[in-house]
Amino acid sequence: MKIPYSWLKEFVDTRLSPAQVQEALTMAGVEVSSCRFLGEGLDSVVTARIIEMRPHPDADRLSLCKVTDGSTTFGIVCGAKNMKAGDAVALAKIGARLPNGVEIKKAKIRGQASEGMLCSEQELKLAEASAGIMILPEDTDPGKPLADALGLSDWLLEVEITPNRGDCLSVLGVAREIASITGEKVVLPGVPFPEEGEPIGDLVRIDVSDPDLCPRYTARAISGVTIAPSPDWMRRRLALCGIRPINNIVDVTNYLLLEVGQPMHAFDLDRLRGSRIDVRAPKETLTFTTLDGAERKIDPGMLLIRDAEGPVAVAGVMGGENSEVVDGTTRVVFESAHFSPPSIRRTAKRLGLSSEASYRFERGVDPAGTVYAADRAVSLLSRFAPLSVAKGVIDVGGGNVKPRTVPFRPDRATRIMGRVYAPEACAEIFGRLGFPVSDDGTGTWNVTVPTNRFDIEREIDLVEEVARLSGYDSIPTTYPESKAPEFSVDDRSVDVQERAFDFLRGRGFSQAVNFSFVAGRTWERLGALLGFSPADAVRVVNPISDDTTLMRPHLLTGLLSNAADNVRRFVDDVRLYESGKAFGKSYAEGHFEEPRLGVILCGKRLPGDWSGADAPADFFDMKGVVEPLLRHLCASPVHVVPTRLRPFFEEGKAADILRDGEAVGWFGAIRRELLDSFELTGPVFYAEIRLAKAAASPPPPGRYAPLPKFPPVFRDVACVFPAGVPVGDVLAMVRVVSPEVEEAAVFDIFTGEKIGEGNKSVGIRVKLQPLDRTLTDAEVHSIHSKIVNLLENRFGGKIRTS
Amino acid sequence: MPGTSERIARLLDEGMAAIAAARGESDLLDAKGRFFGKKGAVSAILKGVAALPADERRAVGELANRARAGLESAFDARLAEIREKERLRSEGRERIDVTLPGRGPMPGHRHPVSQTMSDIISVFRRLGFSVHGGPDVEKDYYNFEALNFPPEHPARDMQDTFYVESTAGDLVLRTHTSPIQIRTMERMKPPVRIIAPGTVYRSDSDITHSPMFHQVEGLAVDRDITMADLKGLLTEFCRMTFGPGKPLRFRPSYFPFTEPSAEVDIRCVICGGSGCRVCKESGWLEILGAGMVDPAVFGFVGYDPEEYAGFAFGMGVERIAMLRHGISDIRLFFENDIRFLSQF
Repeated sequence: MKIPYSWLKEFVDTRLSPAQVQEALTMAGVEVSSCRFLGEGLDSVVTARIIEMRPHPDADRLSLCKVTDGSTTFGIVCGAKNMKAGDAVALAKIGARLPNGVEIKKAKIRGQASEGMLCSEQELKLAEASAGIMILPEDTDPGKPLADALGLSDWLLEVEITPNRGDCLSVLGVAREIASITGEKVVLPGVPFPEEGEPIGDLVRIDVSDPDLCPRYTARAISGVTIAPSPDWMRRRLALCGIRPINNIVDVTNYLLLEVGQPMHAFDLDRLRGSRIDVRAPKETLTFTTLDGAERKIDPGMLLIRDAEGPVAVAGVMGGENSEVVDGTTRVVFESAHFSPPSIRRTAKRLGLSSEASYRFERGVDPAGTVYAADRAVSLLSRFAPLSVAKGVIDVGGGNVKPRTVPFRPDRATRIMGRVYAPEACAEIFGRLGFPVSDDGTGTWNVTVPTNRFDIEREIDLVEEVARLSGYDSIPTTYPESKAPEFSVDDRSVDVQERAFDFLRGRGFSQAVNFSFVAGRTWERLGALLGFSPADAVRVVNPISDDTTLMRPHLLTGLLSNAADNVRRFVDDVRLYESGKAFGKSYAEGHFEEPRLGVILCGKRLPGDWSGADAPADFFDMKGVVEPLLRHLCASPVHVVPTRLRPFFEEGKAADILRDGEAVGWFGAIRRELLDSFELTGPVFYAEIRLAKAAASPPPPGRYAPLPKFPPVFRDVACVFPAGVPVGDVLAMVRVVSPEVEEAAVFDIFTGEKIGEGNKSVGIRVKLQPLDRTLTDAEVHSIHSKIVNLLENRFGGKIRTS
Repeated sequence: MPGTSERIARLLDEGMAAIAAARGESDLLDAKGRFFGKKGAVSAILKGVAALPADERRAVGELANRARAGLESAFDARLAEIREKERLRSEGRERIDVTLPGRGPMPGHRHPVSQTMSDIISVFRRLGFSVHGGPDVEKDYYNFEALNFPPEHPARDMQDTFYVESTAGDLVLRTHTSPIQIRTMERMKPPVRIIAPGTVYRSDSDITHSPMFHQVEGLAVDRDITMADLKGLLTEFCRMTFGPGKPLRFRPSYFPFTEPSAEVDIRCVICGGSGCRVCKESGWLEILGAGMVDPAVFGFVGYDPEEYAGFAFGMGVERIAMLRHGISDIRLFFENDIRFLSQF
């Protein structure tokens, strides 16, 4: 909310400068985000009057003006045409530096000297655009600083009001806050006006049929009104605060909304059918046109202001076209009411219509202030022009407004805040706030809270008042007593993640962070390729864009687009990982979320290597990352098995990682069609690990086995297999041929004509390690035969003899 | 025998020439063999000295010995010369260019948001807090209601909420990590000391707001916790995160789930307090929100507010990462441009 400093000063004649007000309010919890001097850049701009104006002899589009500031005459060359001799204008003298940054220098324009510049509103940053130079009101005296003439020797405070402080949504509210800080007094302007018209009861009848939703309804009526523009000062203030001036009646209601925070509405009394107002929520659905011209659907329960025939306003939100003040209006009823905050909020939300009025009613408008606001409106109007004020005020529910009392124990503030607040200090603060205190000696005070403070209902609310007005600076710094920390499941997850991040970092992978939401259209387009039906996805009801409609069911698409983006930026070797949640729906649990680790790899096997040429990464580079990673996370033993369950992988280049029979991850080469749709060419390898499953329950600590004291024996076996034989299975079986086999590893593998089409040759090195003796040749021979037997009979291999 | 001494002189000349002409060690050894090795010509003469007439014996012997000594020293010198040459040559061949890059992957880079989050977590873990998490897709009850945001309360407007399709219509993407406070307090009795890192979502997007971002929440509940303890803890946290000598400022503020509430500002890390664009000329940067747990929140989890007090705090990880690294556009964090990531 924007508030001019000068307006605040009308309510509290504070000794604080604008900058001090900013600091004091901010440190009391009413943040002032900026405090701007309005006359910035207007130092050498004065009011002046045009004495003479004639065309420039050498330029059709320029004029030569003689202007005076009352004492000196200046010759000015001007490009605008909207002025005439006698007009009051804004003259920027030589040396002025305008708000738009232009510096005014003595200049010769097409041979004619120009001793300054006549300014437009745009040049003075008083308007976004302007058609010509600024013409000031006729009665402007020349030679005054323009800032003074326009009321710009003032500061504009931008105040951020938290939702609990509806009472501060006005000049009066902020002035009260200043007074609470400084101990100064708030003074309300007097509201004198002649009350000589007919009794108001003869003009209009008002009923409140739903008093729960409208606890108080106050009205004043005037007649003999002439609709006209408001005085300049009022129009200027409204504009400064961001409200467009309309006419004297509407403007005065808006002025009071800003000044005392009371939203008001003006009805044209002659347009109220039956001269009647009834505040009532309808029982049926109906439509109604608000004064912004929109037709609104009104549901039962939304509070309306009705006349004898139907709705004339949506209470507290917006008036209706059918009863608004128009040019010919002569009789007006001012509504100054209090509506229940939740009711207004519900209605505004449902209508998708938020107004300055509804914003304030939602946050709480002082029910005690309705009569003052109505009186102030009438009083201001009667100062502008003659009119007749109806006798009396209608005030339905006025007797029900009562302040609340809240119990307060001074030692409670000390207990919560950790510093001592003397009872006298608390009492003094309540005094500044205008909260009467009664102390019956029991240690619990009764504090009376004015009706404007909707945020104070409980003792803790009073503790906060004491703490904030004493200043948080005065709270000491102590340390909470330390206790042995627990070690939670999530502490372990954090540790596991850190281990994974460190490992991957060491292997050259950088970390990505993608949004958890993905574009539903990508999923619909790629459908089955992604291996997840969009129908099973968690959907965002109100996405911010098309790219954020589904919660991602896995991390693949994010990392794939990251790879594509990087390749597009000429970074061809992409090694990225991401740790984040995957989301989905399941019939049993409604929805699930699971922490995952995605890893993507494309480009060279060893980026930056100068010795191994440009070997591209392949499946085994990914496997060589994922398997040791899982071991590093204590997630062994795991088994890698071929899979056909992941449609985003190339067939035959995909594997699942099993732990205790459950897939805890998968990796493989991304399928061609998918690469095409992400505009990626080279092979791309991807792995995704279900972190919580993979690293759940760390394995027991390793058991020591005695180290062998006898030398091992190595035997190499070369064997030709049909290409489809899984070497991993072969090795696993070789390892269990005999207890002496400690290790079996591949040292060579090749295919080619020499060994026949559809075959592969595999060289296996077997390490035999007895624990308790040196192997004899016969024993070695026997184990070797068993291995040969296994390879030939179990796997259809043929031993190669070289 | 004049013939013998002439022969010795000739052998000496020939031997010297052969040594000088030797190109490698084998040439040299060959020369040695021919002239003064065991079977060399000079050695043969020396062996024959004994058979000479007595008057010649002395002169020939002397001459031959001198010749052998001359050849030997020439041999040694030449050998040293050849070896030195050889060493120089082989050194040139085997010397490697140690300035070439080493083999193996260069390390990757942590994402600055993740790194910052990790640092924040480790500071609080050292201060005795343990980590707790919660779901991203959260019930309205946990995200709002139990945190004292009543259904028709304008405080709900403080956070633009994403809603998630559900039959009951009560699911949102959590707008803050605060629901973890409730979930944790429902599970355990005081004392509670937790931090809750996580991803949060708000429908807002510009250079300082992202529809998804990260927060770290903290909560401590015990019999005698005070706001002064909160101040002490956060002062320590800021010292450990931003370094010493950066004053903090606690300002009253409002959050529905804490009262009294505070916003915590740190002396601007860019301008040091003199005022700049980043701190909007105020000299202060807002880095976190905090406060004493509102008694209404204790009501929702069944803690007695007369017996227990607690504090809670929460901070935006991206904001802290932006300040730490001088990043001005939050969207860079989610583009995953390797050229960006490589800077951290």
